[in-house]
Amino acid sequence: MAVHDDVNGSTEKSNSGMDELLTFNAENMQNNMKVIYYSRTFLSIISGAIAGILGFTGLMGFIFYFLVMAITSVALAAKASFSIHSYFNSWNCIIFDGFLGGLMSFVLFWTFAYDIVHIF
Amino acid sequence: MVTRTEEEEVNRLENQVENGGGGVWEYLCLVHKLKLRRSDMVLKHGLSILNDSKKRSALGPEEWTLYEQVAVAAMDCQSIDVAKDCIKVLQRKFPGSKRVGRLEAMLLEARGLWSEAENAYSSLLEENPFDQVVHKRRAAMAKAQGNISAAIDWLNKYLDLFMADHEAWRELAEIYVSLQMYKQAAFCYEELILSQPTVPLYHLAYADVIYTLGGLENLQTAKKYYASTIDLTGGKSTRALFGICLCTSAIGQLTKGRSKEDKESSELQSLSAMALEIDFN
Amino acid sequence: MAEDLVLDTAIRDWVLIPLSVVMVLIGVLRYFVSKLMKGSSQVPDPKIVKEGQVIIRARNLRAGANYIPAKSFRARKAYYSNEENGLLHVPKGQAQNPQAQMFSDPNMAMDMMKKNLSMIIPQTLTFAWVNFFFSGFVAAKIPFPLTQRFRAMLQNGIDLSTVDVSYVSSRSWYFLNLFGLRGLFSLILGEENATDDTQRMMQMSGFGMDPSKTLGAEKDGLDIVQHEWALPKFEQRAEAVLRKLVK
Repeated sequence: MAVHDDVNGSTEKSNSGMDELLTFNAENMQNNMKVIYYSRTFLSIISGAIAGILGFTGLMGFIFYFLVMAITSVALAAKASFSIHSYFNSWNCIIFDGFLGGLMSFVLFWTFAYDIVHIF
Repeated sequence: MVTRTEEEEVNRLENQVENGGGGVWEYLCLVHKLKLRRSDMVLKHGLSILNDSKKRSALGPEEWTLYEQVAVAAMDCQSIDVAKDCIKVLQRKFPGSKRVGRLEAMLLEARGLWSEAENAYSSLLEENPFDQVVHKRRAAMAKAQGNISAAIDWLNKYLDLFMADHEAWRELAEIYVSLQMYKQAAFCYEELILSQPTVPLYHLAYADVIYTLGGLENLQTAKKYYASTIDLTGGKSTRALFGICLCTSAIGQLTKGRSKEDKESSELQSLSAMALEIDFN
Repeated sequence: MAEDLVLDTAIRDWVLIPLSVVMVLIGVLRYFVSKLMKGSSQVPDPKIVKEGQVIIRARNLRAGANYIPAKSFRARKAYYSNEENGLLHVPKGQAQNPQAQMFSDPNMAMDMMKKNLSMIIPQTLTFAWVNFFFSGFVAAKIPFPLTQRFRAMLQNGIDLSTVDVSYVSSRSWYFLNLFGLRGLFSLILGEENATDDTQRMMQMSGFGMDPSKTLGAEKDGLDIVQHEWALPKFEQRAEAVLRKLVK
């Protein structure tokens, strides 16, 4: 979680004082999205390894993934001090962005860690 | 655009470097990345690295970009000899390189040999018509010679091809303002606002130009842009505050008798006047 | 079918782990190789450069339309999209199809080939290598149950219909790695991860993009933009800002 927060620390205020009108500094916005994507990917890999080591199987693992992603969303929102619209287009990008891409990494690392620890 | 944090970082590093601390290379990198013009510092500290063969070779391939950076800085400081030395080293390393050719042309320009430099730039452009730096150098050279109309020509030609280059638009706008061609300047500033709608500087400059053009409609527009500048800067722009006051009084003179929307506008004016008073106290 | 297979630990040490490590290393290697190959640049076509710039500028206009006065917006819109000589207007006959354009310009085809080759060659090589060394192993077991339909996907290379579907053959493990490691690459290689295979595969079918099509799309986008000047709102907001400041 420490690294995630660290990465997230570089989120820049994209549009000071323009929060009602939807105008964005495209560059900062892109940066924000990138930070989200990174923290998601990072967490999905880490959580995959954790799930594998703990030996979750079946539905448990996926529930674990959803849980982690939900926590990430909340943490990201908290980092943006819950005023999403001054950093991002909409809630969607904080909640769903990188969700499916992360799932693939999650499954891979989950399988990998699970096999190494439990199967052999 | 250089953000405030970046600027602070540069200043911090500059202080550190000036006082003999480390981080010279980081400072030079940052200056290069942000495209700052601190030629004297770059020249001084870049040379200190280049003259130290151990430090120089520690840079690896970055050594050559440093040579280029120092050469340009030296030209800016009129240390022609240093620039010549740097370019010579680069020439030996990269014979026939266009990038070095560009430096040579710039050296000619720095020495004031305009026609030779012009020829060099044209031949460079023949080889690669998309060298944006050379295009810009040509416009800058015309401007340096005092040949403003040629500079405008070059810039227009350049913008016809690279029409998304906002730096060139800005340069053109400033030239037009200096020539008092405000309509053209207004167009350029509109273009700048389009490309970066959140930069208050462009709103302010646009408002200035529109205000200068005069006429009721333009004045009202100018007031709106001063207002947006205030909004974007959080009310810290004295010039915009002053502009609001001027616009309002000018509009008031023009619309004397016909009072329709002066109620709300006068409030903006009184507010900005108050803010100005606070500023000056 | 219900009983668990016992997998030899040697399979883990000599198949599962090496395969994954090699996949990561190859990804890193390819990133650097593609970086090297990208270095050489050639002179682009002036028309294409200009079209790219026009598109950027038109996009700016669309995004920032509300920040300039209506008159200026209308003038620009006409400049871009009028039917005679607007910058975004593409005459019908001139819109040649990209295929023909590609054949007329061998350089472009060459470039495309190079790009694709740099993607395909390492892929086939690794695949061949995996096939050669690791064919037929049951290398892993995914920790969740799946239906029979996934058998073809997960047990590629072993023809046993009695093994539980959640066991993965080595070849399929390779594919899992291929897709799942993308996230890892973007983390360790930084922003421009050149190893985005799946997206490139999709692009390949489209075979590059057609500039005249993007011009047309931009024109359509510009046509439907409603100009609503945002500046009047700013007066109130400036007032609010100042009121706060004065207080």
